[in-house]
Amino acid sequence: MYLGIDVGGTHTDAVALNEAGVAAQVKVKTDQTDLLASVNQALRGILETVKPEGVRQLNLSTTLSTNAIVQGTTEDVGMLVIPGPGISADEFMLCRDYHVLDGTIDHRGSETDRLDERQAQAAIKACRAAGVRVFGCVGKFSTRNPLHENTMRQLLGADSDYVTLGHELGGRLNFPRRIATAYFNCAVWRVFNDFATAVEKSLAELGLGHVRVNTLKADGGTFPLAQARRMPVQSIFSGPAASVMGIIALCDITRDSVILDIGGTTTDIAVFVDGQPLVENDGINIGSHPTLVRALKVRSIGIGGDSAINVLGEAVRVGPTRLGPSLADSIPAGAGLPVNARPTLIDALNCTGACVHGNVDASRRGVAEFATLHSIEPGMLAEQAVAAAAEAIYKATQELLAEINDKPVYTIHELLEGRRVAPGRVYLMGGPAKAMQESVRQRFELFTVVPEHFGVANAIGAALTRNTASLELFADTEKGVMFIPALRHRENVPRTYTLADAERDAMNHMLAHLSEMGVFADRDNAQITHASSFNMVDEGRTTGRNIRVKCQIKPGVAFTLNGQPPVQPASRTTGQSLRRATGQPAGPPTGKTGGRG
Amino acid sequence: MQGAKSSLGIILFPAFDWSISPTHPEREERLLYTQDQLKEEGLFDIEGVDEHKPGVATREDVERAHFCFPEVEAVATRSHMVAAGGTITAADLVMTGRHKRAFALVRPPGHHAMKVVQGSRGFCNINIEAVMIEHLREKYGVKKIAVVDTDCHHGDGTQDIYWHDPDVLFISLHQDGRTLYPGTGFPADCGGPGALGRTVNIPLPPGTGDEGYLMVMERIVLPILKDFAPEIVVNSAGQDNHFTDPITNMNLTAQGYARMTELLKPDLAVLEGGYAIQGALPYVNLGIALSLAGLDYSGVREPAYDAVKHRQRPQLAEYIERLCDTIPNVYFHPPAEPQDGFVTTTDAGDWFVRHKNIYYDTDDITEAQTEELYLCGACRGLLKIVSRTTKNPACLGIEIPLHACDACRSLGYSLYEEAQVKEGYRYAQFINRRDKEYLRHGF
Repeated sequence: MYLGIDVGGTHTDAVALNEAGVAAQVKVKTDQTDLLASVNQALRGILETVKPEGVRQLNLSTTLSTNAIVQGTTEDVGMLVIPGPGISADEFMLCRDYHVLDGTIDHRGSETDRLDERQAQAAIKACRAAGVRVFGCVGKFSTRNPLHENTMRQLLGADSDYVTLGHELGGRLNFPRRIATAYFNCAVWRVFNDFATAVEKSLAELGLGHVRVNTLKADGGTFPLAQARRMPVQSIFSGPAASVMGIIALCDITRDSVILDIGGTTTDIAVFVDGQPLVENDGINIGSHPTLVRALKVRSIGIGGDSAINVLGEAVRVGPTRLGPSLADSIPAGAGLPVNARPTLIDALNCTGACVHGNVDASRRGVAEFATLHSIEPGMLAEQAVAAAAEAIYKATQELLAEINDKPVYTIHELLEGRRVAPGRVYLMGGPAKAMQESVRQRFELFTVVPEHFGVANAIGAALTRNTASLELFADTEKGVMFIPALRHRENVPRTYTLADAERDAMNHMLAHLSEMGVFADRDNAQITHASSFNMVDEGRTTGRNIRVKCQIKPGVAFTLNGQPPVQPASRTTGQSLRRATGQPAGPPTGKTGGRG
Repeated sequence: MQGAKSSLGIILFPAFDWSISPTHPEREERLLYTQDQLKEEGLFDIEGVDEHKPGVATREDVERAHFCFPEVEAVATRSHMVAAGGTITAADLVMTGRHKRAFALVRPPGHHAMKVVQGSRGFCNINIEAVMIEHLREKYGVKKIAVVDTDCHHGDGTQDIYWHDPDVLFISLHQDGRTLYPGTGFPADCGGPGALGRTVNIPLPPGTGDEGYLMVMERIVLPILKDFAPEIVVNSAGQDNHFTDPITNMNLTAQGYARMTELLKPDLAVLEGGYAIQGALPYVNLGIALSLAGLDYSGVREPAYDAVKHRQRPQLAEYIERLCDTIPNVYFHPPAEPQDGFVTTTDAGDWFVRHKNIYYDTDDITEAQTEELYLCGACRGLLKIVSRTTKNPACLGIEIPLHACDACRSLGYSLYEEAQVKEGYRYAQFINRRDKEYLRHGF
């Protein structure tokens, strides 16, 4: 049995499932001040149906690290950066204890200026005096040569709780992002580790001590909790990825498609190419800081079921503001409307007959009042609001596709022969998915699919998401060095080392690393995503090869539920009916363990 | 990180799958370290600095700038069409207001490609600046354009294309032709009969450093630009003046490049040469990009830089000062008559005739060319070029210029028809810019 828990901003969703289908599902309200309590509550709900000994794996997606950053409950980090020449490192100062040190590594990984160790010692001393216990050491081009970062770790010695070295974050180039990523990794390190320890303790108490625990990442994969303890920054913003992976688990996607996750406040848009989710080129932004945290390419727009309807001149719009829940959800049956009640998208959908959700009468009255206020016929207002929502989603999708198709490429072959992404299907999920299906179909003029279980696709995605891993290899045969930054692996290679050797080494190191962590990774899911080799020439002679290889375990799910019977009889006993009555798709399923407040 | 003061679009197209030959300076690896440096610096994360994908130039885009014999596809590979397309994308980014400035970091370069293209010279086949300029005129109606060529080699191709064009001011700063390829670009060469003073050559002595370049910028280039008042300033940003460049002898630094760019404030910059791909290009390109974006570039310093070793010799300052005193006269007081041709009178009227011998060093082709410009009082004048090479027999090019008068237009048609009837030419190419008609014959 696989367990998936998605701790979201509003709800915590949990499911237990196996190849036969979903065995149990729970939805509880998230207590933002005590995420552990929400996780425990969800687990207990699941264990009402499922026996602990049958559970093999728990995948956890949490907003813990994100919350810590947003709420400012992170700890002080000592940042020791070694920029060398270029854009002034003062530009990237993101915390108080930020020290810029002298020393230079160039783009080939040659040390062109020694690290100033006395300056470094002084900086460390200053940080310690300020009470700093965690440190990030980041050098420009440390992914080509980690010498300075490694020296910094030695200088820090044993007297610090945790140290993040820039090159351990992966081999991609981008010094400012490396600084920000190292910083956030340190900043949430303690809060994440405390949480992980508490979760492990709870699991032991609930008889789930034997369960393998994975944490979700934003790139549509998971990594073992032990690994997450070292790289907690990777667990950030995993929510949208859980939903996208849910769609993969529920539908057999094989071609270019658009995925729309329509929630209460936002719609997340993702694009699949040949049935594979696209990963962001660079990484996500945390606050205003771009990072190296890999993520699925997901565009969020402020259109959701609870988005308020506006009238601006002649134009009817929806969102991006959310003024609380819809009238259908907030007005008890028979009660009157408050003054200036603002209808939302859900209310409009109730009026057009696209759904029958909550207090339909309140929706009708609210839309009618609002329409009168703006001298529009109520039916027309509702229709235009729904059309406006579909239009906004369509426009954002087109922009995302344009961005994907206009992504810079660096070879003539890719530029001239590169294929354009042209989605042929739209998959919808989230609360209002079913209600929006028809208007989305009309606007996109594409075949639309709303899978069963679409309301808890996120938790299903969390449960079934596989481990992913990625790494970059860099080799310079003139220097005779091969380096895999993420694994801190550096070895000497002969001058005859070729691109094929590098590809093989990259794959083998990645799979070996996974197996060391106790993860079984199918070689079939491993792929080389970039491989290039350049002859380096000096005075007309070839002096060596500059080789770069990237490989990854592609995102995927353990198995799909497509065509499986949707509900096992056992789950009904918890009242978690997945098969909802037709015409009532907009609300989340309610059960005895939770529900909307 | 602060946002860019002038928003900047960068077209970075390193053409990682194209080279002239495996160990040629113009090879796959050339922009590899530049790309590494720009990525590592996080340049594209700066607000207002964006990376864009190049477009691909069409045959017509090229034919607006060149006579290609036997045809465009024969002299330009796909990489040349992408490099030219990159400059067009750069122009579009600026003209549509998407960015204030744009930098086409593309290869291969183009400033040695002349009006007639029979092959590759100085690693150039298609003049990518000229393709861009003709696009600016054709699509956006830009009239006055200035090209400041800061490549270490004389931009003889761009000079040739705009020799007769009074609306395109061409200024080239380069290492003195007596000491470097292509051996041309002297102050006396200042344009054809209708465009005297609109070509300004500034040959600099070997060893010129930041000091000398900046002096020339301030005392020659900027005053001329101020007077000419172009709508668009284009910088042919060759990077081979760098002190580490393997095939030139100058002493410019990344700081010098950035400062020069800051003074020049080009709307569009296009990469030309520059083959110190590890020690110079990553830093020079970073410096130029930061400077174009109005950002602080003071921290950009190449590892090999030595303030003492790379200082300009004091004697050079005197020599360069003398240049600064005299060269502005080329623009402000040009000679009354052109020096490099003669006028012949036919039934149709007066023609200005130049004979040229051109060597295509990269492809080892020798070309003999006769260029005739119809001296029309009403427009820029019909252009007729007859070219013979060691590869192709006589080829004819006829161009009716933009805004041509009716007389030049009909003269152009009759000459083209005559050429077809007589069949004296292996290939004939007819370009009518006024009516956007592009014809070929003999292919």
